[in-house]
Amino acid sequence: MLSLLDLLGTIGGSILGLPGILGVALGMTTRNWIVAPILGGAIGVLSPLILGGHHSAEVPVTTLDYSVSTIVGILAGLVGCAIRHKGAKV
Amino acid sequence: MPDNHGHRRRNILLRIWDAFWSPTGLFSAGFLLIAGFLAGILFWGGFHWSLELTNTEEFCISCHSMETNLGEYRETIHYNNHSGVRAICSDCHVPHEWQYKMKAKVMAVKDVYHELRGTINTSEKYEERRLEMAAAVWKKMKATDSRECRNCHAFEYMDFTIQETRAAQNHQRAVDENMTCIDCHQGIAHDLAPGYLEEYQHVVETLAQGRIPGTASRVDLASIKSYLGFAAD
Repeated sequence: MLSLLDLLGTIGGSILGLPGILGVALGMTTRNWIVAPILGGAIGVLSPLILGGHHSAEVPVTTLDYSVSTIVGILAGLVGCAIRHKGAKV
Repeated sequence: MPDNHGHRRRNILLRIWDAFWSPTGLFSAGFLLIAGFLAGILFWGGFHWSLELTNTEEFCISCHSMETNLGEYRETIHYNNHSGVRAICSDCHVPHEWQYKMKAKVMAVKDVYHELRGTINTSEKYEERRLEMAAAVWKKMKATDSRECRNCHAFEYMDFTIQETRAAQNHQRAVDENMTCIDCHQGIAHDLAPGYLEEYQHVVETLAQGRIPGTASRVDLASIKSYLGFAAD
């Protein structure tokens, strides 16, 4: 039960964090369905590295964190690309 | 309902959807950019403000279920001390880092669910669940190297020379043996349930099993008991 909750929390944190928000923003910069998820995925990979640290504690970034962050980044990139297709002529 | 031209009017949601995605002929790109920027600031500010409201002590203790642990916390040094510096609920239970804070907030939805269900609404029910609830927090703290403790307490800035001898010795040992705050300070803010040491050992072992061999925690039950002044068996 806790692990499911942990998974849901990690997904929610990623959607409301850098992979979700910047992923959509970067996805909106292109109409290319390949480039958009790559940009989003890159943010998903970098996000735990950039923001996962702590000034004093040694907090390990888990495989779950990386996986969820990357998948959310890819999906966010695709959503951003879809917004670009739907809402822009260029 | 047919309109004047005899066509059936579309659903209002569909019309809003179409209008939302139609190019505007009334506003310039600059106007929309500035308006979007301002709306973004207002939305984000409001979101963050609301989030911070859920970090206040008043919010946490507004649930009936929190009365027991609030009473226990008020007896501790984190509530009342010589310096007047206080740690409230969110200081220990909510990470500062954005994505982990969001994760904690999403996971806290279960607290609302259990408050509504009355899972711990009597002292008997609370005591039944005390060890389970404590173990969940210990697991999180152990896994994150007591991140929330270390927002205020960092070994790097501790002056062991002005600590009590026992504290200085044990903190030095904690540094040397790569221990973390919660290894010794399990009952720092709330009462402990019977059998807590065994439960904590179980938490440590469970976490160690999920780690890469060789990086498993070196903390053992004997060292924790020796710190607490119990005979190690």
